[in-house]
Amino acid sequence: MTDRHRSPLSGTSRTASGTSRAARKWREALTGYAFVAPAFVGFAVFYLLPTVRAMQISLTDWNLLRAPRFVGLANFERLLHDDKFWHSCEVTLAYVLYNIPLQTALGLALAVLSDRLARSVILRALIISPYLISNVVSGLIWLFMLDPLLGLTNAWLVAVGLPHQPFLASPDQAIISVAGISIWRHTGLTALLFYAGLQSIPKHLYEAARLEGAGEWLMFRRITLPLLRPVMAFVLVTTIIGSFQVFDVIAVTTSGGPADASRVILWFIYENAFQFNKMGYASAVSILLFLVLILITLVQMRLLRADQSDLD
Amino acid sequence: MVRKLRLTVPAAFGYLMLAGFVGVSLLPFWVAIKTAITQPGDVFQTASSIAPGELTFGNFTRVLGLPSSVELTSVRASPINFALSLRNSLIYTALTVAGQLFFSSLAAYAFARLKFPGRNLMFYGFLASTMIPAIVLFIPNFILIKDLGLINTFAGMVAPTVLMTPFAVFFMRQFFLSAPRELDEAAKLEGASAFQIFWRIALPIQAGPMATLAILLSINSWNEFFWPFLVGRGEDVRVMAVALSDFMSQTSQRTPDWSGLMAALTLSILPVIALLFVFGRQIVESLQSSGMK
Amino acid sequence: MRKLLAASLAVTTAIVPMMLAPAKAADATVSYWMWDGNQAPVYRQCADKFEAANPGVKVQITQDGWDNYWTKLTTGFTSATAPDVFVNHISRFPEFLANGVMEDLTARIAADKVDMSAYLPGLADSWNKGAKQWGLPKDWDTIAIFYNKKMVADAGITDEQLANLDWNPNDGGTFEKALAKLTVDAKGKHGDQPGFDPKNVAVYAWSYDPPDGFGQQEFSHFAASAGFQAVDKPWGTKYFYDSPILAKTLTWLRDLSIVKGFSTNGEQVGRLGPSPLFAAGKIAMAPQGSWMLSTYRDNAKFAWGVAPLPKGPEGRKSMFNGLADSIWSGSKNKDAAWAWVKYLGSSECQTIVGKAGVVFPARPEAVDAAVKAHQAKGIDVSAFTLVAKAGSTFPYPIMDHGSEAYAILKTAVTNVLLNQGDPAKILKDANDEVNKLF
Repeated sequence: MTDRHRSPLSGTSRTASGTSRAARKWREALTGYAFVAPAFVGFAVFYLLPTVRAMQISLTDWNLLRAPRFVGLANFERLLHDDKFWHSCEVTLAYVLYNIPLQTALGLALAVLSDRLARSVILRALIISPYLISNVVSGLIWLFMLDPLLGLTNAWLVAVGLPHQPFLASPDQAIISVAGISIWRHTGLTALLFYAGLQSIPKHLYEAARLEGAGEWLMFRRITLPLLRPVMAFVLVTTIIGSFQVFDVIAVTTSGGPADASRVILWFIYENAFQFNKMGYASAVSILLFLVLILITLVQMRLLRADQSDLD
Repeated sequence: MVRKLRLTVPAAFGYLMLAGFVGVSLLPFWVAIKTAITQPGDVFQTASSIAPGELTFGNFTRVLGLPSSVELTSVRASPINFALSLRNSLIYTALTVAGQLFFSSLAAYAFARLKFPGRNLMFYGFLASTMIPAIVLFIPNFILIKDLGLINTFAGMVAPTVLMTPFAVFFMRQFFLSAPRELDEAAKLEGASAFQIFWRIALPIQAGPMATLAILLSINSWNEFFWPFLVGRGEDVRVMAVALSDFMSQTSQRTPDWSGLMAALTLSILPVIALLFVFGRQIVESLQSSGMK
Repeated sequence: MRKLLAASLAVTTAIVPMMLAPAKAADATVSYWMWDGNQAPVYRQCADKFEAANPGVKVQITQDGWDNYWTKLTTGFTSATAPDVFVNHISRFPEFLANGVMEDLTARIAADKVDMSAYLPGLADSWNKGAKQWGLPKDWDTIAIFYNKKMVADAGITDEQLANLDWNPNDGGTFEKALAKLTVDAKGKHGDQPGFDPKNVAVYAWSYDPPDGFGQQEFSHFAASAGFQAVDKPWGTKYFYDSPILAKTLTWLRDLSIVKGFSTNGEQVGRLGPSPLFAAGKIAMAPQGSWMLSTYRDNAKFAWGVAPLPKGPEGRKSMFNGLADSIWSGSKNKDAAWAWVKYLGSSECQTIVGKAGVVFPARPEAVDAAVKAHQAKGIDVSAFTLVAKAGSTFPYPIMDHGSEAYAILKTAVTNVLLNQGDPAKILKDANDEVNKLF
């Protein structure tokens, strides 16, 4: 980098090489731009531009079929007083709160168990299999299995003397059931990430602890958990961001119902945009969600950074 | 160090839990299969049983549009054109994955190895865009694709992801950063062009991470629903996930043909299961490493 | 890896031009969209005849599930990828009209002297607005009761008794007594016997779909037969969901399940609807639209029949809803599209549809063909035609803001039936919210 400040005039003998160095630098920069160009086009056209356009649309009243009408911040103002919007925030939050802790805890348990008891790659392949099928497919199969009167799940509940559960058909259980389906699909991946994290923990730490007479639980709390924190942070960042955007499973199982019980933010946006054709309003909600996600990500990135230095 | 626990009570309990996890993971697969091999008229009587009803393979042939032993009186010819959806899913996945692998690696290499003004600004711009929820992009992108006249084309479906995804760029950049540079320098002295260095030297070293990325991207593309749902609704481009949800959405007016649906689901899962059988270790290890950037 | 990448790039470059190539010349192709998978093959038969009679014109039929159909159609209008001809539903008619996506058919009807009185009364009128005709009648549907013959006979109810039940929102009339007899608890006790356990029912007498906003199959017939009117008038501006009659009707329906145990409650019927329960022998009866006939034929492996809805204080009532074929205003070949629409509405095509026994076409002679087709399969469908003939029908509400009103009312009705609060209050709040849309 210091080369850049060397003047080509500082010596005639250097002029030639200096020019060629500048030329080389120029060529390298050009190469850089050329290499980045396709990706940059993709970024500019499909990320940057639409973000700006979404902001514009959010300031209009537009039903797709007629010309948009500028309304200023009216959409955002309406949003603040829209009970349905706030309800969808509550539902989404409930979903995140059911989904994340359970999925993380189960994934961790699964990882530790397979690390200690069965390290076969076949076991891990079996556990990861739900992740390989789509949300739509998992949603459909579970919809069939969770049917209130006909489903297999209820047949088993009754067989062990428990009452029928309505699951997806009930306003009280719909969102838990949707969370359950997501947990089924994603726990394997979470477990796999934790499992990989476990492999990077130096084994001598356990040996030393065991020599001092530490039990399994103590070692888990004192060694495993603290050293797994970077992976934990990664898992939490990705799953929380993903959970705020749950949509597919809901589209095939409940369509936001019954009685709005599973109308999460993304369904609310979808409904407004593509069923009521209120593009402006839907964009306003999208922008708000974007801001909230940035906030969450920033907070988590901070945690992530702190944790990384923890490991070193 | 692999230290086996003796079969103590906690260990037995642990094995039991593992077995439970595996059971729950696999149960829905079995339910799909057993419903798919049940006669349509038997599906609801046996829905709450783990065993299939009266056996048939007619559902599969019916879904595939072949002459079938199981014809329904409600003359529903071929609810999903399965072969076509499968082809569409394959094209969609191949295009997005190949495009992303190539263009994202190219950009990642530049970000990691080349110096040019505005490099960091650009990279952090890319990075920040991972925080944009996809839904924010869907509406404007849909309108853009519409304005370009690319609705119901593969071009429109792959456009937003084929040139880059922030994740792919970020992922590859990490690996280019840590790779040795000596070979690059040597090649440069021999007069190789920048692209030659990238293509012949830098990229082959990253075969492992590239494969990992390819698997991750393939799983995502194969399962992608919302964007193809918006843009690729025509039968000629409709991917599997969208076709299945179309099948399902008849419920509000009409009970779908569940045995047929499950047969289609089973067929749609098959390629993935086959992949797991063949590349099980690679997939597991790829997914494992995705959190260890 | 590099080879793999090179190979996939090669594939990409091979495929891209294929994708970008324009579709083959489509001048003489009429695209036609519909949501009913059962009907698509039947209309294919019509299309074959039409193509034979109009050389050079091809009809391309595309079918999508109900929910996706509308999303696809709206985005199609926006992006100029909509079909030339599409099956239209009353609930979307006002919105489509306001946005000018439908072609006015009036002049073409007059020029070709299409006889609009050849359709069942009322069907053409619902697609007329501002003295303009926006669609040609296609088919119609009413509601009746599908019942399990053996269960009804075992309960000692004759077909004649079943056809003459009466109902009121206070005590449910003889209809509710019949339901009591048909319900059996886990110990084999019937609903009208002492010791019946309403919390532990093995076979329910009644079941209904997760309710939609207008209750087409679920409650609209009960409410209307007690004198309820949902809206002030077609194209009106007022909903009457705060009516005490509706609250009373829905309360009765709610208690039928959660108190008396004669009906499945809203939480027991998942998104699959009552027909799987019927097929599995868990329910004896269900109110369903005539479009469900073929589904029941496929799924029920036992003898079943169709009975008329019970008579209420105001008589027997059923919602009467007709579909139509409309032409997209952005169509590039409207003449061919019109020829196809005209053929769809013709006696020839409607009779083909009738004979398939899937729906009831809009022309009386085609309806006869449909009735005969069902008879040949051993099913008496007079319960559906009875309500259509007797003039005891009421229309599907034609109102602006249809989708939004529907969503709000659906939530409210679901909340009432799932016992989430005071019915009168829930309905009044929803009604206020809906009326505010205008």
